[in-house]
Amino acid sequence: MSKDKHTARWRVVGQSVRGATHERAGVTNQDAIHWLPESGTELPLILAVADGHGSRRSFRSETGARLAVETAAQVIRDFLRGQVEIENLSAIKRAAEEWLPVAVARRWLEAVTNHLAAHPLSADELKLVGADQPEASVQASQSNSQLAYGTTILVAAVTVDFILYLQLGDGEILIVADDGEVSSPLPKDQRLFANETTSLCSEDAWRDFRVCFQAVSNTPPALILLSTDGYPNSFRDESGFFKVGTDILEMIRAEGLDMVNDHLESWLRESTYAGSGDDVTLGLICSLDSIARQAMREIRTPTLQQAAEQGREFNQREDRDAPVEYDV
Amino acid sequence: MNMRPGGELATRPLHFIWMADCSGSMDVDGKIQSLNTAIKEAIPNMQAVADENPNAQVLVRAIKFSSGAQWHVSQPTEVSDFRWEDLTAEGVTDMGKALSMVADQLKIPPMTERALPPVLVLISDGQPTDDYASGLKALMDQPWGRKAVRIAIAIGEDADTEVLQKFIGNPELKPLQANNPEALVKYIKWVSTAVLKSASAPASQTSDSAAPGMNVPIPVLPDSGPTSADDVW
Repeated sequence: MSKDKHTARWRVVGQSVRGATHERAGVTNQDAIHWLPESGTELPLILAVADGHGSRRSFRSETGARLAVETAAQVIRDFLRGQVEIENLSAIKRAAEEWLPVAVARRWLEAVTNHLAAHPLSADELKLVGADQPEASVQASQSNSQLAYGTTILVAAVTVDFILYLQLGDGEILIVADDGEVSSPLPKDQRLFANETTSLCSEDAWRDFRVCFQAVSNTPPALILLSTDGYPNSFRDESGFFKVGTDILEMIRAEGLDMVNDHLESWLRESTYAGSGDDVTLGLICSLDSIARQAMREIRTPTLQQAAEQGREFNQREDRDAPVEYDV
Repeated sequence: MNMRPGGELATRPLHFIWMADCSGSMDVDGKIQSLNTAIKEAIPNMQAVADENPNAQVLVRAIKFSSGAQWHVSQPTEVSDFRWEDLTAEGVTDMGKALSMVADQLKIPPMTERALPPVLVLISDGQPTDDYASGLKALMDQPWGRKAVRIAIAIGEDADTEVLQKFIGNPELKPLQANNPEALVKYIKWVSTAVLKSASAPASQTSDSAAPGMNVPIPVLPDSGPTSADDVW
């Protein structure tokens, strides 16, 4: 384990905007975003986004999405705190893949059950989710009631030694390498097509999670992006969406993460209005070390144009042939 | 910082395809003329629905089938530019050919994965005369064929509602039975307004709860009314 890893500096920022279609229809934003710790700067850093279905039968999906990001972040934080054998990455990987999906789905269900107990569904709402049949068992009725809270969940957790990605349902997780190359850490789920998505409210939802565990190498990603599907669906093609990763990394390097954060809301708003019309959420986890490394490289290695200009300036100096004096 | 990250933004395409039976029997009792009138009258309604949701790019096409099948409007046409040329009726009912031609157009590409579920409206007054099952299989073999909103309108009592039901693929949704011009106008208006509106801004559905062809919520059906003396077909 290198010293560099222990001093690694990361920062998370993010925004969520109500979709243009939802604004026109007077519907609230069904997406949610949450990160731990609140400062967004100390490792381990956990970022979660969720997209509540917003369908007629998922009429509490705004709450479902909020509960999803909060419970998922807590479960993963507790999981990371509980890892005593931090050197044994393969054991952590196995535990993350096998245990976390079950734990995230179960904790969300508990939170939904508590919410239902505090805010029972009305007779009309029970009818809407098909939980009103007199012969329905308590378990079936409970299962149907969860549909009201239906949501996706996407999480990235950055630790000193590894990065963890979990996803259930639609949306995108992208990673951007130091050189600007954009890739997706998770395989595509072919079922996520034509507005259909896997969901936390489904029976055995844990089976539908996609999980990726990456040990932190010498060059971890410069940037990690988590977005709900309203954002990628706003671009004409996939390459246009992948370009977001490259562009934002360049912008952070040129103008700083604060400037990017200041503009996120307006970018996302423009995207939903000129694109999908859906709610749009984007969370970014940025490696501040990567930004600093690049800045150092630029100082040390002037661009060809800068070198040419420096050369031209030198050639124009009248004292260019004078001996150079050094302070000793 | 004025630049926005990412490539070109675009609204999501929604393909709407009329599939019209133009067999000789459609010439009897003014059925084809009623269909022409009903679709012409529906166009302003479609345009109004499209205007209400600028995030869906409604693109309309039409295919006709009789002895063989042919695109009546072959290019996906912005609904604001869509015009209806009257159909004429003659020949047999090669519905299978039309289904397979639509299937070709629902492949990815030319379709994109980010499109909204297409709307297919099949209108027929008779029995298919070709191998409709092969055409239907070709359509259902395409992901967008399976996920399309499939609506069927039966014109008159001789329409093969069993075949139309197979096209719909969901027992909860029946073919709409139009036995007179007023009913046909009502159903055409329903698909071009209520169904189009629902398809243009669909919410996510859990993949295990959406019935076949129901990944877009189907609005309440218009009342067809009781059988009456007005029934001419």
